[in-house]
Amino acid sequence: MLTFPRTLVAELRKTATLPGSLAALAVASVGPLGISLLNSMGVRNALRSGQPDLVAYTSAADAVFSAAPLGTVGAVVLGVIAVSSEYTANTPDAGGGRQITATLTATPSRLAVVAAKATVVALLVLATAAVTIPVCLGAANLVLGGLGTPADVGDTVARGVGAAVYWTLTALMVLAITVLTRNGIGPLIAGIVNSSLVSVSVLLSHVTPLAYYLPDLAGMRLFADDSIATFDGALDPIPGGLVMATWALGLLAISSVVFTRRDA
Amino acid sequence: MTARRHRLRRATTAELIKLRGLPAALAAMLATVVAGALFAAADPAGPAQAVPFLQIGPIVLGVLVVAAEYSGRQIATTLIAMPRRLVLLAGKAGAYLIAATATSVITIGGWLVPGRPAGRWTVIGAAAYLVLMGLLALGLTVLLRSLVLPLAGLLTLVLVVSPLLAGYTEHARWLPDQAGRALSQPHGDFTTGAAILLAWTASVAAAGTVAFLSRDA
Repeated sequence: MLTFPRTLVAELRKTATLPGSLAALAVASVGPLGISLLNSMGVRNALRSGQPDLVAYTSAADAVFSAAPLGTVGAVVLGVIAVSSEYTANTPDAGGGRQITATLTATPSRLAVVAAKATVVALLVLATAAVTIPVCLGAANLVLGGLGTPADVGDTVARGVGAAVYWTLTALMVLAITVLTRNGIGPLIAGIVNSSLVSVSVLLSHVTPLAYYLPDLAGMRLFADDSIATFDGALDPIPGGLVMATWALGLLAISSVVFTRRDA
Repeated sequence: MTARRHRLRRATTAELIKLRGLPAALAAMLATVVAGALFAAADPAGPAQAVPFLQIGPIVLGVLVVAAEYSGRQIATTLIAMPRRLVLLAGKAGAYLIAATATSVITIGGWLVPGRPAGRWTVIGAAAYLVLMGLLALGLTVLLRSLVLPLAGLLTLVLVVSPLLAGYTEHARWLPDQAGRALSQPHGDFTTGAAILLAWTASVAAAGTVAFLSRDA
């Protein structure tokens, strides 16, 4: 157990220095900021011209949280490449090996590897969210001036924390799935599709209300309210967040078991 | 002329054989066909609602046809076997078009079953849209020489950014997917949509071709 901090630092170094990580974190920070600015400018223009019915919402908070899916996309990319980079074959000039063999030689405890990777990804996503969401809220408020509908501060903070939790849990889920598939394509596609507005889970919710227990829809109310997405049967923030967390922990548990028992 | 046509046919055949060896590409094609059949059964009115989901398949296919060359250095082997880069690209595009057209036609075919109300043009337009979006993905991957970047980038554009922007500004209709969507809608502006989508695909393909011809592999 004494070696775990070292494993953690090693995984942090590996993950943070992937070129894709930088791109993922850039998507998760610059993306929501850009869309928040566009949204709030749209709201401002509609309010100034006296046509508030042109926009779906009139508060700065809604302008920001409707941009949250882009943060989810960044989290998905980070969660996938943190694991898939270990399995990408090197160039034949360098022996064509995979980094996972070096990783497991250095850290034979497989559980420690998975735990460290999950911790690092969660920390990076949370840190990005901690910077991005307040900046977006500040920018949207600045654009709207005093025009927007004032939102309850406690409510906005809760939704901000909710969005950060949603991003983190999504990253952990795709990380766990990538440990299982040992290849990034499938988890990447599934993650991006289900963080989008045309999610498969939303389609399934038309067929059966059980779809609201699928991870991406269960956690939806953590940051989205009716002005962003109207789902009559959606779970409330706390139960929904718990369902989503159960999915994430369950998938992590399965992938840890598989990873410890199978050949790399 | 005959020699050139012969070369092109051989390049296309070689690329088709390589494509057949990619499990992810076969999975993408199969998943698209199955999803198309399910959508056609659930919503027989027309493919417009299904196209945003179905386009994932051709995009994955277009990215994989090229990206598989760059995971490892298969591209070096390929260029030794086929030093004419323009012929190689044409062969790749040809193999993609054969695979994607077959997939799209079968996928969209579910709406052509007799007695279905879907208009003939929306069905043809939807199939053309799927093929063209994948061709756009192929051109982008030639340009970027990577798997994750074009795949994540294009999927994010069509599934997340484009709907968000469409809610903000009418100028989002110039995006390739928003413009091309008109092809599958009963009352869409067919010609304008097709022209915008073709312009996107052609310019990305041209940029990819120039880059592929002029730079080191």
